[in-house]
Amino acid sequence: MQIILPDRSVRTVSCTSAPIEEILLELGINPTTVIVVKNGRIVPEDVTVTEGDEIRIVRFSHGG
Amino acid sequence: MTSAENRCSLCSEPAVVRLVEPERRLCAAHFIEDAETRVLAAMKRERMVSPGDRIAVGLSGGKDSTALLLLLHRFLPTLGADLVAVTVDEGIAGYREETIRAAGDQTEELGVEHAIVSFVDLFGDDLDGLLAGREAQGCTVCGVLRRRALAEGVKRVGATKLATGHNLDDEAQSILMNVLRGDLPRLLQDTSTGQPGHFVPRIKPLAVLSEKEIVTYLLLRAYYRDLPECPYAGTALRSEVRTMLSGLEHRHPGTMVRLMRFREGARGSFSSPEPAKALSTCRICGELTSGKVCQICRLLGREG
Repeated sequence: MQIILPDRSVRTVSCTSAPIEEILLELGINPTTVIVVKNGRIVPEDVTVTEGDEIRIVRFSHGG
Repeated sequence: MTSAENRCSLCSEPAVVRLVEPERRLCAAHFIEDAETRVLAAMKRERMVSPGDRIAVGLSGGKDSTALLLLLHRFLPTLGADLVAVTVDEGIAGYREETIRAAGDQTEELGVEHAIVSFVDLFGDDLDGLLAGREAQGCTVCGVLRRRALAEGVKRVGATKLATGHNLDDEAQSILMNVLRGDLPRLLQDTSTGQPGHFVPRIKPLAVLSEKEIVTYLLLRAYYRDLPECPYAGTALRSEVRTMLSGLEHRHPGTMVRLMRFREGARGSFSSPEPAKALSTCRICGELTSGKVCQICRLLGREG
């Protein structure tokens, strides 16, 4: 599975199936501070990802 | 939950968000409708707008004020009110130029009147210059100057109320900060009514939406722009409180809404701890102040 991090770097992770929330926490990211796009669609973080998925993590700037 | 199971509670489309109180999953269309309905309901419940009002939206060009502009542009005609946008150019190199461009694009697209007031015009220098040597006080100094600049903008465009893009996260952070500072008067202060003849009422229609919901809304409506963060943002107590509160919100969903309810309850239970101070005019600039010299003149070292 490919993960596009907020800084646009790409990390490849091998896992069979895991909730996105678990992956975010492993990466040290609080799920309430980001939006996750799975295979081009915004999804809630309790959705699971499997091998072959691409997830993009969007971190938003504060203020404004 | 698999993608196949992740369905909107109201239709069979894939859900984009999971919300609490009440627990629900919503697809893109239903989330947009849900968010808009909550904002309009709050505006009506708190009587934020009256027919004939001219509402100035404080438009930085960032995500919150962009969402606010979109929502007010949609709702105000139905409420018999008029919309105008005011942008403050503080003069923050590498940050403000881009957001001001975004604000100009948005108002032009929607056909909304737009006025810009700058720190240079009002205070003789930009924020970077005014902060030289005291950058750590960035948010405090900027906050005070911005309030004056927005008030000036509101006066120039002849607005009856000022709408700001404060979201649920901002408000919950402010509540917690006031508690941590032991500042009960500030916790109880309500700026929604203004002060007749002195300050215009301030309304915060987005206080029912979290920062994450606002970004989701903008992404779904294709209005989200990844803009830089203010370089002074990390210097404030607010950033520590933000981190703490987002952790609590994750582990205990609904924490921010409960903080809002706490403030509402506190405002209803406490009478003002001290009578409001009589206002006089600043002996230097002539603006309203509770002392002899206003906070702006003190911050700018005009006492001399």
